[in-house]
Amino acid sequence: MKPFEFIKAASTEEAVAALAEHGPGIRILAGGTDLLVDLKHAGQSPGVVMDVSGIDDLGAISVDDDGLHIGAGATHTAIMTDPLIAEHAPAMIDAAHTVGAVQTRNLGTIGGNLVTCVPSMDSGPVLVALEADVILAGASGIRRLALTEFFVGPRKTILAAGEMLVDIVIPKANLGKPAGFIKFGLRKGQALALVNAASAAWIEDGKFAAPRIALGAVAPVVIRCEAAEAALDGQPVSDAVIAEAAKIAAGEAKPIDDFRASKSYRLDLIEVGVRRTLAAAAGLKGE
Amino acid sequence: MDVTMTVNGRELTASVPPETTLLKLLREDWDLTGAKLGCDVGDCGACTVLVDGTAVNACLMLAGQADGRQITTIEGLADLDAFHPLQKTFEDLAALQCGFCGPGIILAAKYLLDNNPNPTTAEIRDGLAGNLCRCTGYTKIIEAVADTAKELAAQSAA
Repeated sequence: MKPFEFIKAASTEEAVAALAEHGPGIRILAGGTDLLVDLKHAGQSPGVVMDVSGIDDLGAISVDDDGLHIGAGATHTAIMTDPLIAEHAPAMIDAAHTVGAVQTRNLGTIGGNLVTCVPSMDSGPVLVALEADVILAGASGIRRLALTEFFVGPRKTILAAGEMLVDIVIPKANLGKPAGFIKFGLRKGQALALVNAASAAWIEDGKFAAPRIALGAVAPVVIRCEAAEAALDGQPVSDAVIAEAAKIAAGEAKPIDDFRASKSYRLDLIEVGVRRTLAAAAGLKGE
Repeated sequence: MDVTMTVNGRELTASVPPETTLLKLLREDWDLTGAKLGCDVGDCGACTVLVDGTAVNACLMLAGQADGRQITTIEGLADLDAFHPLQKTFEDLAALQCGFCGPGIILAAKYLLDNNPNPTTAEIRDGLAGNLCRCTGYTKIIEAVADTAKELAAQSAA
């Protein structure tokens, strides 16, 4: 790694002030599982690296009238073992469990996973299916926006200079919404997703209500499959209805061919993933 | 920058550049070469150590982040006179061949058993998913962790 100055922020306020002071030359270190790899390969020094892992409330998980708050600094291991997550958004546990391996889950944070913003991120799809918002802090204050607006492109978020992601909120209306997540990789551990799929839906009188389908690793950013959702909304729960929605969802994705998998294989995986996660959300036994 | 941490029960200090990883600090400043430099990007697990009891990749943590914390490396588990039960079982079953991955695997296994004293085979595989071994094919490693869990349970029952 090229030489840099190392500072520790004791509070979010201090971190935001340091971002303003140091300008674009500063990098935020949360878990470090992405950042240190980047810095080892970087040709030039980042200038300043600011450790935010010591900010206790940045990793807090809590519930209030707004919904379920997951601090950006919460590690994947913390998410897997938190009783509030288990109660209100258990699909997040399944997603967190697929990140890297034990050692990386112990260090890596959900905020870091979202900010790094690779298309194959494992934290995105469940949060998108549960219509999460993100809260960003900067010198000019706080702003809140939908997670889908936060993702701009591969490794590119809407974060402006001097801003940091501080909180993720699953809205109260979606707490306990039945949801499912599945990751397809070449292995179970230490694998990048070929396809990530998440679905959430209420089931009212045997019918899908407000279904949400999100996919990762099949487009530049994590996407919602709104045509499939519209086709599903109000339909009776059945294997045929689910299979039709899965076909439509595959049509909304734009997977690529690469050395890990072909486009056509990924399209097949999308259908299987959407079917299985919808079945899980609907309480069906599934395939 | 100056860092101070408790390593295997001993307080150690060093003055290192900020871009120093915990792994480099352990190996090059304190001659604790049990943790290995393998991939250097968090894929292979050869550098696994325990920080405040939690398994992490020492190649992905800066020395400054470890400042003030408790570090356990393979050198802290036992000496030649008294192996840790994991080390004893690994030896008995010949669970390692070249041994390069061993310190990381044994510390990942310790973290697993500390948090889940009676793991299933699937849980052992999950707990070791971040540790690559290119010699053994893992079969004996998984058996050794399972046998250690039984051994520790028998010890605590006795």
